[in-house]
Amino acid sequence: MQQTRPTQQESALTVPAIPYGSHEVRLSGRQWLAAAALILCVLVFAPVAWERIEEFEPGADYRMPYGLSSDYWLFDRYCRFAASRCDTLVLGDSVIWGQYVRPDQTLTHHLNDLAGRSRFANMGVDGLHPAALAGLIDYYGRAISGKNVLLHCNVLWMSSTRHDLQTDKEFHFNHPRLVPQFVPRIPCYRESYADRLGILVERTVPFFAWANHLRLVYFDRKSVPAWTLEHPYGNPAKGIGRGLPAPEGSARQEPFPWTDRGVARQSFPWVPLDASFQWRSFRRALAMLRGRGSRVFVLVGPFNEHMLEQESLQTYAARKAEIAAWLREQQVAHYVPPALPSQYCADASHPLDEGYAMLAAQLFECDSFIEFLDRASTQ
Amino acid sequence: MLFHTWTFVLFFLIVYPVHLALKRTRLKLPWLLLASYVFYGWWNPLYLFLIAYTTLVNYVAVILMEKTSGRKLWLALSIINSLGLLGFFKYGAFVTDNLNALLALLGTSYHLPAPGVIFPVGISFFTFQAMSYTIDYYRGQIERERSLIRFATFVALFPRLVAGPIERAKNLLPQLRATPGIARQDVTDGLSLFIVGLFKKVALADYLGIYVDKVYDAPGEFSAPALVLATFAFGWQIYFDFSGYTDMARGVARMMGFRLMLNFNNPYLATGLGDFWRRWHVSLSTWFRDYVYIPLGGNRRGRFSTYVNMCLTMVISGLWHGAAWTFVIWGALHALGRVLTRGLERSAFYKERVPKFAKQLLVFAFVTFAWVFFRARSFGDARLIVTRILTAGWADPAFPLLALGLVLAVWCYQFVYESAGRRVLALAPVRVAVVVLMAVYLAAFTGTGVQAFIYFQF
Repeated sequence: MQQTRPTQQESALTVPAIPYGSHEVRLSGRQWLAAAALILCVLVFAPVAWERIEEFEPGADYRMPYGLSSDYWLFDRYCRFAASRCDTLVLGDSVIWGQYVRPDQTLTHHLNDLAGRSRFANMGVDGLHPAALAGLIDYYGRAISGKNVLLHCNVLWMSSTRHDLQTDKEFHFNHPRLVPQFVPRIPCYRESYADRLGILVERTVPFFAWANHLRLVYFDRKSVPAWTLEHPYGNPAKGIGRGLPAPEGSARQEPFPWTDRGVARQSFPWVPLDASFQWRSFRRALAMLRGRGSRVFVLVGPFNEHMLEQESLQTYAARKAEIAAWLREQQVAHYVPPALPSQYCADASHPLDEGYAMLAAQLFECDSFIEFLDRASTQ
Repeated sequence: MLFHTWTFVLFFLIVYPVHLALKRTRLKLPWLLLASYVFYGWWNPLYLFLIAYTTLVNYVAVILMEKTSGRKLWLALSIINSLGLLGFFKYGAFVTDNLNALLALLGTSYHLPAPGVIFPVGISFFTFQAMSYTIDYYRGQIERERSLIRFATFVALFPRLVAGPIERAKNLLPQLRATPGIARQDVTDGLSLFIVGLFKKVALADYLGIYVDKVYDAPGEFSAPALVLATFAFGWQIYFDFSGYTDMARGVARMMGFRLMLNFNNPYLATGLGDFWRRWHVSLSTWFRDYVYIPLGGNRRGRFSTYVNMCLTMVISGLWHGAAWTFVIWGALHALGRVLTRGLERSAFYKERVPKFAKQLLVFAFVTFAWVFFRARSFGDARLIVTRILTAGWADPAFPLLALGLVLAVWCYQFVYESAGRRVLALAPVRVAVVVLMAVYLAAFTGTGVQAFIYFQF
């Protein structure tokens, strides 16, 4: 506590003599320009330079590591790689990724087998519902432009208001960083405005997506400070040097048919198509791909119809028909596969190896798909 | 709205250009007031009633002081009103809890209901600022502010609204009256202050806070080294947090053409407790000096009276920080420290013979010890922590080396800043490099979560 009364300042003094600060970090205009230029260089070139440091050579049947499903910087990088090597990119959720199968049992693998060469790239991302798919294409999938895309439409995302993100009650859904942050409003999404704005910035500045990549890959999904708390004497720089994790060679979940899991028949409260947010998002994704010069083939399903109660099955059939009609109307090549045998289904929407093989064979018997492939190979 | 969020960036990107456009017009103050109310109402629009009420009461009290003969009465009513509000919102639960404990001690079954009111962010800051205007007017140190809008802007000016600095009317009101002269240097200085504050808050305070929270949430589970390091870390966390806020506030204000006072001046380089309080939360310590300590008699009535006044002021200052006995003890500890060292600090031996570095370490050690009571969740926890520091055995504290390195780097920077080596820090390449490193660290390595400022709760 100071002991004496301060000298009274002149009341007319408009700019009092107040010390600047207690440090020397005080840049002039020119110095700020220099600092800004250096910071900009780091922001722009660090992710680019990193691609030269971090080895990434996806082999046949590569799929994004499951734990890196929200690593959109890696997805963007994989997109560029795949777009330069394969003529058709297969986009979708874990059905495309292959939740219950090994990398060499996925739909992409079987399609490549039937094609006789690596034409298809598995761009599946776990939990990628249509709203997130649209965001992924929009912000991290620019390399897809002009490529041929086999786009998977999983009707499961329209099977309830919860899947359709239309519930008022907040819940944590997959890929919130990819969905529209402000418009249209998603009622169950309650992120703070500050974080939503941060997400918009992350989408615009690749550096932030790259920084997130570092966190996901090298720091156990944590920020560096949080990581050092668990590794107090660890060297964060040392961790970075160890490279990307090897792709998983095994299935994410045990490959049993759904009947062996003790799953009962379900009655889904399907959302009407014209009211479905996910369906609107899917259409947006499709329009974006076509708008960017991609030729798109839509695969509607598969879906485990054996798992549905009679009434639900009828509604599903109606939805399927509506989707097919809309795709026809929009002149989008598509295929709506018949139900796979029950024993080939692992759950409501994921096939097992045999299911994927059958689906691939069906696609190769579909004229519009062959035509789609023929055009792809001539490009 | 927090400075270190994108919401604030967007807010400022809207407010600032309009401020630049309007600064020479009559709309300057209405715009600033509107922006300040949006900034404050972002937490809870109901808070706006409180700040508007505080503003009106102090404004009207000064008018009544000018127009009527009962100057003392209006001053008293205004102060009672301000302290009453503060007491109700901030100390209601504390008073009720203590009264209930007392009633239980007396064997009565009567139980007072908890007030159950929300605590308005920054109430202590704007209340004190408004009070200082009224008191200064009463003392004849300032003239009455005629414009209600200007006075409301003085109370609510958004850069310093929720955590200070607690500005005096004689500093800020003249700046609000004048047309802000915003030179290029103001913008670059403002940016420089802001990035330093941002780094202190996001990269340092929030980082240290992770370790501090872990240890202080369960002190019984940690050994002496962990408790010592957590207390050391908290000392720096609260400094980085609060001074970071102040730096950002001063930076934003500077960009807008307003100069706010220096609130922190490297307090952990203090060579005595008196020196510490001239460097730590300067706007509050000078507020207590001018409005509590000096009115009590200051140092004018002999040594004993001086010590009593000093103790009272420190204890009240402790209570200002929070409605809990731990804060009172924290204030009392500082009071005791001041009483015991005041004579020593003035002695020739201490001034000339004790090495400066030893004095700095001693002060730092004492201040850090006192933080135990400030941070602990209860008096029982504080006692447990002190006991375990003295008695619990050694175990690996698992304190992140990176955090320690960052703190020591800042401390070294401050030592150099206050030494002959300061000119090295002033070299342009060093300054630019520091800014670039801070910006890149912030962008690449900090977490995504947003932590509020510690001092908002006061």
